[in-house]
Amino acid sequence: MFALVKLVFLSPLSRVARRAAPIILLSALAAALAPSVSAQPKDAPSKRLEAIRAEMDKGQGLFVAGNYAGAAEVFEAGYAAYPYSAFLFNAGVCYQKQNDVDRALAKFREYIKVDPNAPDRDKVNQRIATLEAAKAAAVVPALGEAGSTGDAGAQAPVALPTGDDQTSMKSLVVIETEPDGAPLRIYQRVDPTAQFTLGAANPGFKEVASTNAPANLTLDVGQYHVVVEKFRDFNASEADMTVSPGHVHQLKANLSQGKFMAFLRVSSSVMGAHIWIDDKKKERSLWGNTPHGELVPGGKHDVLVEAPGFEPLLSSVELEHGQQKELEVRLERLGYGVLRVDATAPVVSVRVDDLPKGVWRTGTEPLDIRFDAGEHRLTVEADGRKTFRGKVVVPRGQILPLHVKMIPKYPRGPAWTQAIIGAAFLGASIYAGVESNRLYDEVKKDRENGNLESGDERATRGKWLAGGADAGFVIAGVLGGLATYNFIKDPLPESSLTEDKLLEFEDPLKTRPVARLAPQQALRQDVAAVERAPRLELMPSASTTGGGLFLGGKF
Amino acid sequence: MRSPLLRLTLLGGLTLGVSACSWSRFDDLTASAPVVLLEKPDSLNNGFGVSLATATNGGRSQVLVGGTVSTTGAALYEIGQEDAPNTSAIDTNYCSGANGKPCFLSSLIAGFANAQGPDQLHSLCYAVGTGEVVKQGLVMRCQDHSQYSLDMPPPAQQLLAMSIAQNQAPHDYPLATDRTDDPTLLASLPDLRLAWFYPERSTTLGELQLPDGMQVDDPSFGRSLAVLAVAGGRVLAIGVSGLSQVLLWKTEGDASAHYIGCLGGHSGMGRALAAGRVNADANDDLVISDSNQVRAIDGAALFQLSETTSTECDLAPSDLAGTLGPWECGSTTSDVSGCESSDFGAALAVGDLDGDGDGEVIVGAPRMSVRGQEKAGALLVYDAETAGGSAPVDVRFMSSAENGDELGRSIVAPHAGKRDIIAAGAPGHGKAALFYCSSLIPHGAAGSRCP
Repeated sequence: MFALVKLVFLSPLSRVARRAAPIILLSALAAALAPSVSAQPKDAPSKRLEAIRAEMDKGQGLFVAGNYAGAAEVFEAGYAAYPYSAFLFNAGVCYQKQNDVDRALAKFREYIKVDPNAPDRDKVNQRIATLEAAKAAAVVPALGEAGSTGDAGAQAPVALPTGDDQTSMKSLVVIETEPDGAPLRIYQRVDPTAQFTLGAANPGFKEVASTNAPANLTLDVGQYHVVVEKFRDFNASEADMTVSPGHVHQLKANLSQGKFMAFLRVSSSVMGAHIWIDDKKKERSLWGNTPHGELVPGGKHDVLVEAPGFEPLLSSVELEHGQQKELEVRLERLGYGVLRVDATAPVVSVRVDDLPKGVWRTGTEPLDIRFDAGEHRLTVEADGRKTFRGKVVVPRGQILPLHVKMIPKYPRGPAWTQAIIGAAFLGASIYAGVESNRLYDEVKKDRENGNLESGDERATRGKWLAGGADAGFVIAGVLGGLATYNFIKDPLPESSLTEDKLLEFEDPLKTRPVARLAPQQALRQDVAAVERAPRLELMPSASTTGGGLFLGGKF
Repeated sequence: MRSPLLRLTLLGGLTLGVSACSWSRFDDLTASAPVVLLEKPDSLNNGFGVSLATATNGGRSQVLVGGTVSTTGAALYEIGQEDAPNTSAIDTNYCSGANGKPCFLSSLIAGFANAQGPDQLHSLCYAVGTGEVVKQGLVMRCQDHSQYSLDMPPPAQQLLAMSIAQNQAPHDYPLATDRTDDPTLLASLPDLRLAWFYPERSTTLGELQLPDGMQVDDPSFGRSLAVLAVAGGRVLAIGVSGLSQVLLWKTEGDASAHYIGCLGGHSGMGRALAAGRVNADANDDLVISDSNQVRAIDGAALFQLSETTSTECDLAPSDLAGTLGPWECGSTTSDVSGCESSDFGAALAVGDLDGDGDGEVIVGAPRMSVRGQEKAGALLVYDAETAGGSAPVDVRFMSSAENGDELGRSIVAPHAGKRDIIAAGAPGHGKAALFYCSSLIPHGAAGSRCP
């Protein structure tokens, strides 16, 4: 089934030339509201309407099936939950069908009471009078019979009108405008051949209600014409409406400000990119997120498309009245990216290309480093940890999360100990060697001069010193070797880097791009060339008398 | 477990290997050191090195090291004929006082190539002092461990007997011999101004008489002695340094001696005496030190002196032909200094250090400073062949010189092969050393110990 779920009419297109000639974009409402109503922005009212509709449909179904008691019960419950007068009237009809005149009268009277300005007030009062008359007529014969039989007070059966069928059910009509508060006039077509002309006498129509939007009306089945009168600087609008029995109808009017409109649709290689129209400085709220289409006035427009991580793109588009145009843009990534660094050490300092870029501490947010896209040298240092040095590729317009695993430095205590002891041995050995050489020279001199004793203490001391020096040199050498080895030895792995999945830039508007699309043509001027088969279709419509937007779908 | 052990073993081996190389160079130097210290026996603790004596016989050369005067104990060392001495004492029972037999070391002890015992001739004997061996007298001990006593003049004998009997403080009996195979022993008793001698191969003493009317009453009498072997006999010299005199006798082989004069003229003359072949002839010459100088007087000239009865000490060294010197204190090295208080001439010896046939005069200066060590002592060598020179031609000292060593308090010149070496005592710290080298020795003739 093809269901029209929303009416948006924007008229007139030309205040000057064709102000009195409204364009009716949609004149019929669905007998049942489809789930696609959820396309409306306000969710809660939609659900409420859906519930009302369900109650109304249920009661209508029971009524058609002849279960008047059940239908009356449903309508009574519907009114209790949603106090719309249509429920009262329909309940009264159900009681009437059951010849329960009192309860029927009660419901009709309550209907008049809660909705004294009901368009069908006269008809309902007439129905009340008829029922009262029928009830009175039934009492008189009963009194006569009672006098003869002595059974005074007995009531004769009431003979109520029985012409009510399912078309007798009243429907609930909800009329809203954007913005709210617009004055409404609802005319019922009394002459099936009459055409409504705004501002004319329109003898074929009868005004049944005059109120302000939003309005909840209980209307009989029939043809109606809804007029939204000029409101503030908004133009007047109008639409035909057919009211089915026992249903809920919703009518919403987006008011235009009175120019001829064109339709612009903007899409980009980045889903959800933000669009501003004629607002380079982004001082107003955004126009929409790609893909997005909307009526716009004809003429030249500046279209600014932005997405986090991409270079903003400013395009200029020229629209003629009633023209549809699709603008497809391909956003390019930014020339820089962000490295988001954290580590396994309490405090780390980060350098990129040897330039200090900050310090990250455990418990804080990762350190974001903005840098030109491309390959760079990354250095991460921490006390007591091995310095990480490596290369990273900074993405274009994206965030690269980096987790640096900082490995503790291998303890060099033994190496230092060996080095120090070795140095001490070396120093002592040098001293002992020098001293030994000095003694040797002395002893040798004495030897050469013939004065050296066989047991010269210096020779003994020099010998010990020489031995000690040699031993010390060997020990120092061994310790030096061990120290060198232990300085070099490192069984622990090097600090390492783990790259996480690339992240997109934070969206300040909290609507993030959802996917990257394949590159497309930057700009297509020929709207006809664009063929799509969306499930939800937004169709603009324009004529010499105005423009509007038609939204429909297949379910 | 095995790996650390292996590493330790390798480390130790490498260390020892490298160390051995460094050690060896010191061993190379000390293995044949020019100066050899004689090991002091543990039993000799009293002034080891106060006195020295040497004797050579049959290719064996010995040095006897005595201790403090009037105490017991002297040690005999075999130094051989080459430059490989036995530094350990081969006999420490010289004047040991063993078996309750008293013995008192003399300040001057004497060696014999051969000595006549009571009943036989002994070789390599030493007169070490007085005491009682078989009987009371001068104590002789030979390398065959035989000991005997020589009779002394009655006053000396009585004094010794009294000392032994009354356990009085012993008296000094200085002794001296010449260097011949059959030396004459000269003895004195300074406390009695008494001197006597024993001719070669004789135990019969001969007293030395001064001319009638000559009075030599000074405690320095006989503190220095010398026996010169000259052709035809011996010249016996007795120093009286307190009177600056040297009294001279000569003997022609029997027990009689003739007074031939008194040398004087220099202060302190006779502080020390020595005999040896200083000049080129075959006779011993007399070396005399006084307070400042040392001279060598031709022994032959002395022997030519006629017996005299003069009581005047009117013989000056310069009056005698062939007198050498005087030599004065000096040094050839900056390591040795302090002549002004060196006690220059405290001991004298004559030895043919360079093996050229004549002897060099070795003068002890026990109070000289060596490398800043005061009273370490040094040996100054004078060569008579150096014409007109009064300075020493060589200076010997111990490389381990210490304060108070007093090297040069006693000196002898034992034979060592074809030349003599120096043996000197440093009693300050109980040392005695052999000096094998001298700058006088021609290059290539000094043996393995000398450069």
